[in-house]
Amino acid sequence: MMTCEILSRLLALCAIACIARAGSTLQDARDFEEKVSILLKEELETPKCFAEGRKDFTCFWEEDEERAGSVHQYSFTYTYQNENSSRCPLSAVPAAGGKMLIVCHLNRIQMFVQMDIQVHREGILIHNRSLLIELVFLLDPPANVTVSSTGQQGQLNVSWVPPPLKYMDDSMMYEVFYSLADSHIGQVEVARACSEYILRGLQFSRKYKVQVRVKLDGVSYNGYWSAWSDPVFMETLPTEFDPLIISLTLIISFIFIVLCLAMLLSHHRFLIKKIWPAIPTPDSKFQGLFTIYGGNFQEWLGQTNGGLWLTPAFIYSEECPSPLEVLSELSLCPSLPSPPLPPKASRALSAVRNEGRELRNGVEERALLVKDNLDGETDGERAAPHHHWLLDRLRALHQHQVPCSQSSLLESQDTYVTLSANNNSDDERVDSNLEEALPLEALFPSGNTALCESHSDLGSAPQSSGSGCISSQSSFEYPNHAWMAKGPGYTYMAVADSGVSMDYSPMSRVDENGKVPVYTNEYKNMIPAHRKPFLVRQYPVHGDG
Amino acid sequence: MEFPRLLALLLLVLDWTQPGLSSPLRPICDLRVLNHFIQEARDAEGAMKSCREGCGLSQSVTVPQTTVDFDVWEKKNAQEQAQEVQTGLWLLQQSLNTLQTSVTNTAMHSHIDNTIRNLLSINAVLRSLNIQEFTPPANATDLEGTWRVSLATDLLQVHVNFLRGKVHLLLSSAQACKPDVS
Repeated sequence: MMTCEILSRLLALCAIACIARAGSTLQDARDFEEKVSILLKEELETPKCFAEGRKDFTCFWEEDEERAGSVHQYSFTYTYQNENSSRCPLSAVPAAGGKMLIVCHLNRIQMFVQMDIQVHREGILIHNRSLLIELVFLLDPPANVTVSSTGQQGQLNVSWVPPPLKYMDDSMMYEVFYSLADSHIGQVEVARACSEYILRGLQFSRKYKVQVRVKLDGVSYNGYWSAWSDPVFMETLPTEFDPLIISLTLIISFIFIVLCLAMLLSHHRFLIKKIWPAIPTPDSKFQGLFTIYGGNFQEWLGQTNGGLWLTPAFIYSEECPSPLEVLSELSLCPSLPSPPLPPKASRALSAVRNEGRELRNGVEERALLVKDNLDGETDGERAAPHHHWLLDRLRALHQHQVPCSQSSLLESQDTYVTLSANNNSDDERVDSNLEEALPLEALFPSGNTALCESHSDLGSAPQSSGSGCISSQSSFEYPNHAWMAKGPGYTYMAVADSGVSMDYSPMSRVDENGKVPVYTNEYKNMIPAHRKPFLVRQYPVHGDG
Repeated sequence: MEFPRLLALLLLVLDWTQPGLSSPLRPICDLRVLNHFIQEARDAEGAMKSCREGCGLSQSVTVPQTTVDFDVWEKKNAQEQAQEVQTGLWLLQQSLNTLQTSVTNTAMHSHIDNTIRNLLSINAVLRSLNIQEFTPPANATDLEGTWRVSLATDLLQVHVNFLRGKVHLLLSSAQACKPDVS
């Protein structure tokens, strides 16, 4: 019984040893294949030779399996300097791709001395090479590569066991390759004569892959880079909040906030003015309107001298490169009913009242504008009477402010615009027409600046010079008896202002017979030019504000 | 009472005037020093290979064998290894002196002078490692473990291989450089 037990144990041990040996042999075979593949890429000379340690030396070359035949027809002869030659026993190893490797392996070698190698096949020299064995090392990859955390963020400590080669520890150099686990692109760090390396600058909470390889440094010994070790994966530490950094951040933020508040408080008035500007109210313009009359404008008008003001708004309107004459009736019969003012007109009136003084200057400017815009016809002599007439008109208006306050200037919503033509051949005619039209010129108080159409929109006025200024806010009625066609040099257009939109209807140029043809075009509300009576519309006015 | 003071003063004076044995050199264990010499020896060998005129040896010289069989080397003790190295360095020095007189190329002269200086420095390094100084016998040229070379390129190649091999092995295994194990 005892003997059987002992025998069975021995058998088990033998089996384990055989398996282990087979395993190591298998591993050796794999390592050899790996080195062969490396040398086939790196070494150009034949035979390809490498030293694995202080005593092992291997040479091989490739032959086609079909051509190789028997190994015995090959001979491998090596000769050290100043010594006799020796022969190396050869073996054949099958390789991939229908190739065969013929291998020479030596267990005893001499370093730091030149070695001459000759390979013969059936007596014929096929390969020849001279080398120094200590310069062709091809080592195994570093073993036991371990990656651990250093305790600091973004760092990993890589350590390995150097190849067990005596006297050569100081001559080894290593390359450490590291990359993110899911990436093939990484970085390589070089380490010399050491067995660990600290990787820095890594990302937090990321998994890294690390590999190491080794080579002799090339001073006393040299060789090829080994294969990369098996990859090792390790995750870096997550971010940690450093209390010092947090406290410093809080302190700096607090100081910054205090500084901002101090700055804001010191300029609070300016900022409030900019961010929350005061809404202007017309109280100051209408003294007593809201305080005494409760916003009843009619009553207020009846008690005050609120009249017709002419605002220079129209005068100061945007430049109108082409002459534009707005025809309107400023002073009408006082018997006309006085409907409530449209809100726009009331604002216009308030603006005009306040800018009465500027109006005179504005009129002069306007006169100049009109003068200048006449193409090729600017003439100081013509401008002078023009200028005087306007001033006279203004004075008249100011004197008759009360009755005119209820004029239909505020009632009508139609604005009739005349556009002077550029290519007037009849200069004199134009001049006379101008003078005739002058009495009809008026400057409308308008809350908005006049809208200038640079080219037409006014497509129905081909003779127009191209631009005319049209007041978008004007609501004045034009008395039929006061208006006259200026002549063939002018194109007339009726403008109907509904307060929401303006409809421009052409009043085409007047032919010599005095008949004004009607232009058919896309404009709305076509009003034939010969229609004399003008529309009188009651414009409902709501309370201001 | 006065006597101890006088005695102390006397000891101090004697200590200053003591015939000085030089303090022991600090061991030079950094192999980068030797690597530097090896690099310069390689440069000299390369320069000699590209030299066309005035770079020959007038006579054959004796040089040490550079062969290193680790099994054989490890069987020798430290003293034998040191003596072998010092003998080789002496032989190389003699050979380089011969080369210096033979070479007429001025560029090579600087290389050879530098090489001779480096050999002297290596001897100093060995002394710093407490390696006992060894003077080879007069008939060292006939000893085993030597070669005869007649070409300047072969001489410089032997010089490089000797430094990379035996000298490097001796310095890397020097006892003075090993950490004390107590």
